[in-house]
Amino acid sequence: MTDIDLKSADTQDATRPAKPVTFRGGGFQIKPLGPIAPLVFIGLIAFWEYGSRSGFISSLVLPAPSEVYVAFAELVQSGMLLVHLSASLQRLVIGWTAGTVLGISVGLLIGLSSVARAGLSPLVSAIFPIPKIALLPLFVIWFGIGEGSKVATILFGTFFPTVITTYGGVDNVDRNLIRMGQSFGLSWSSIVRKIIFPGALPAILSGCRISASIAIILLVAAEMIGAEFGIGAYILLAGSLFATDQLIAGVAILSTMGLCFAWVIGRAEKYFLNWRT
Amino acid sequence: MDLHLEAISHGYGSVEVLKNIDLQINQSEIVCIVGPSGCGKSTLLRIVGGLEQPLSGQVMQLGEPPAGSLNPLTYIFQDFALLPWRTVKGNVSLALEEHGLSTAKVDQIIGDVLARTKLNEFADALPRQLSGGMKQRVAIARALSVKPAVMLMDEPLSALDSQTRELLMDDLIDLWQREGFTACYVTHNLAEAVRLGHKIVVLSRRPGEIREIVEIDIPLAERSNFTVELESKQKQLWGMMREEALAADMELIDD
Amino acid sequence: MKTITRRKLSAILGGGLLVISAITASITTAGAQEKINVGALRFTSHSASFVALERGYFKEQGLDVTFKFFQAAQPMAVAIASGDVDFGVTAISGGLINLANKGAIKVIGGALQEEPGIDGQMILVSKKAFDEGVTKPAMLKGRSYGITQAGSSFHYMAAKIAQKEGFPSSDIKVKPLQKVGAIIGALKSGQIDAWSIVPHIAKGLAKSPAVEIIGNISDYIPDYQVTTVFTSADNAANKKDLVKRFLAAFSKGADDFNAALVDKTAGDQAAEDMVKLIHKYVYTSRPYEKAAPSIRNGAMRINKNAKLNLTNVKDQLAWFQSEGLVSKDITIDTLVDSSFVETY
Repeated sequence: MTDIDLKSADTQDATRPAKPVTFRGGGFQIKPLGPIAPLVFIGLIAFWEYGSRSGFISSLVLPAPSEVYVAFAELVQSGMLLVHLSASLQRLVIGWTAGTVLGISVGLLIGLSSVARAGLSPLVSAIFPIPKIALLPLFVIWFGIGEGSKVATILFGTFFPTVITTYGGVDNVDRNLIRMGQSFGLSWSSIVRKIIFPGALPAILSGCRISASIAIILLVAAEMIGAEFGIGAYILLAGSLFATDQLIAGVAILSTMGLCFAWVIGRAEKYFLNWRT
Repeated sequence: MDLHLEAISHGYGSVEVLKNIDLQINQSEIVCIVGPSGCGKSTLLRIVGGLEQPLSGQVMQLGEPPAGSLNPLTYIFQDFALLPWRTVKGNVSLALEEHGLSTAKVDQIIGDVLARTKLNEFADALPRQLSGGMKQRVAIARALSVKPAVMLMDEPLSALDSQTRELLMDDLIDLWQREGFTACYVTHNLAEAVRLGHKIVVLSRRPGEIREIVEIDIPLAERSNFTVELESKQKQLWGMMREEALAADMELIDD
Repeated sequence: MKTITRRKLSAILGGGLLVISAITASITTAGAQEKINVGALRFTSHSASFVALERGYFKEQGLDVTFKFFQAAQPMAVAIASGDVDFGVTAISGGLINLANKGAIKVIGGALQEEPGIDGQMILVSKKAFDEGVTKPAMLKGRSYGITQAGSSFHYMAAKIAQKEGFPSSDIKVKPLQKVGAIIGALKSGQIDAWSIVPHIAKGLAKSPAVEIIGNISDYIPDYQVTTVFTSADNAANKKDLVKRFLAAFSKGADDFNAALVDKTAGDQAAEDMVKLIHKYVYTSRPYEKAAPSIRNGAMRINKNAKLNLTNVKDQLAWFQSEGLVSKDITIDTLVDSSFVETY
């Protein structure tokens, strides 16, 4: 094509049909839309209440939200809510903290030592998928029917996912940062404390999110063993009595606990991981 | 303090990476190592710094490091290797924490090196807030804080854009002017080599052997006035490297 | 022609293959048979239904019965409430009463009954507690007692022991452990002091040195209506004929069972046959020789004509209400439809 050809193409512009380029982008971006979530939630509950009152949701199938509210109010008025909550929170906090601390320690060990990795990592993979509920009768014999077996159930449940996320996090720490530490003559313990642990912290905290949820799931299982008080025990009793209003109220308390934990961990992530882009 | 590399050979499994390298790095001298990619430049630097052990040969340290040197052989990395969770100040202090210095002393050293690298204002910034050039200045500040006898620089400017590279090169020349540091500078960029190097070591493609050592007598400060001479040096280097680079480019990468 | 040969064949093969005859018979007369589902647990106490099916008593009543087996009484009660199962047998529990209160189910007859003189549920203590002096149920004051759930029959029995021995029921510390297996584990390892359970399990446990039998429940609740027959409220109200036919067949099965294993009036051969019949449903994973003693030990009276001890059921309801486990507004008529069987 010569320059003359180009010129003639230019002059033809006026006569050739012109149209704007069709927009093909967009569509896959998630935009934040503030009040949608509460609206969906309120709408769902309103529909549920309407269904229960008009009778097309039988009270046998699902109690009305208002009945659930009454059951919850009774729980508050009787003062039992605090008793149940404090019993459960104590088990959760002790079990989860111990499970997390042990899990991080063993995870670091597996992440740092070849011997520990060869010896422990298959063991962890083998024990992790065992449903802890299946071991309940054994836990009764090992840890008794007091607080021991309840805390142990939660501890075992949170320990394994923490181990796995921790050593995954250690594996993902930038090798070059470790080399940098060595090049400045940092000691082994300094490299672990100042480079590897903070580098694995994002993975550890997201592991905490998972293990906190698992702890709440296991709370009901843990309180199957000789628990008089506790949200899990309350739910189990409601279930065996077919008191479905109390059952739903108990479940709602559990999911609120889940939300609170997620919020706390979210704050912790904001605080500890403010260096992330 | 001088460094002598004596008959260094290295390899991984059946792959020979370095072959019989003899080299002398004298005090207050910047030795640039250039070579085609994959010729073992970075491996050589790691061996010099004691981060890797060669299969044979050794690196000898001649004379004592200057008094008060906390870490005689100090690296500067291509990707800066800053801890993202520490501030500028925190990153510099990392190198000082192992040496039992008083807090006041540490603060004084940090203040001093940040001033020398013009980073005072950014002492409390996090790495993610800094540009690439700033990050490398932090890494240089960190290296200076331990009073190194030899700075081992592994492509320190390669991750930066060309304008920042120019600015930082000027900074390095200023710094050398003032402190006269010793450095082993690995690069694949010949322009950097002729601007900064007193001695330029050309390595062949894998297994890396020394092909030639080119000396440039023009003082660093005056090099900007001798562009023609430098250009011809650069052409001469490129002439040596072209074939090697071409052959290296055609090799299959299998490591 | 074909049907006749099949009948002949099944007659020749005899009792052991009665199932096949029942099935083939039900195929041939399918039009006249009403299909129903009966919920059952694989316990000896559910034998009346097994006998009624095996010996064709359901068929005589025009019922084509399919068993639905459950692991626990609770899901069975839910299945009846949802209409998936028509009839079931289980102990009265808080859950059952609440389902009745929701208008889902009705108790229509009695099944298992405690009776002095016949081995019934037994009170067990751990070796540790026994050595500490808990050798009689009167010593249970201040001791722990295993139950599955608050509001279960175990809970009721614990309260009744306390009542009779004259101390407040709160002095027996009940420990909800959800599962029978967990209770056994806790008892054997001395984590709990006491428990009560049906005779064949109790006798089995007492063979180990870790557990001792210290008394019988029949001494404390002599007329205990342990299990009851129940159906959906819909069946009780609208299909009275179906309920009557079911109860008639069930009672006939119960009579055979009582004669063979409880009163032992039918002779050794009949007892042997009965154990073999039950073994098809209970302890199926164990060989016959091992299963037979457990089946014999577990035999407790199943009420004749599904008679219901309403007096005791009222007492049970009152106890559940006093414990706050079910609403105080529930009357006995909400729980029981007494129009089908004799009550006392």
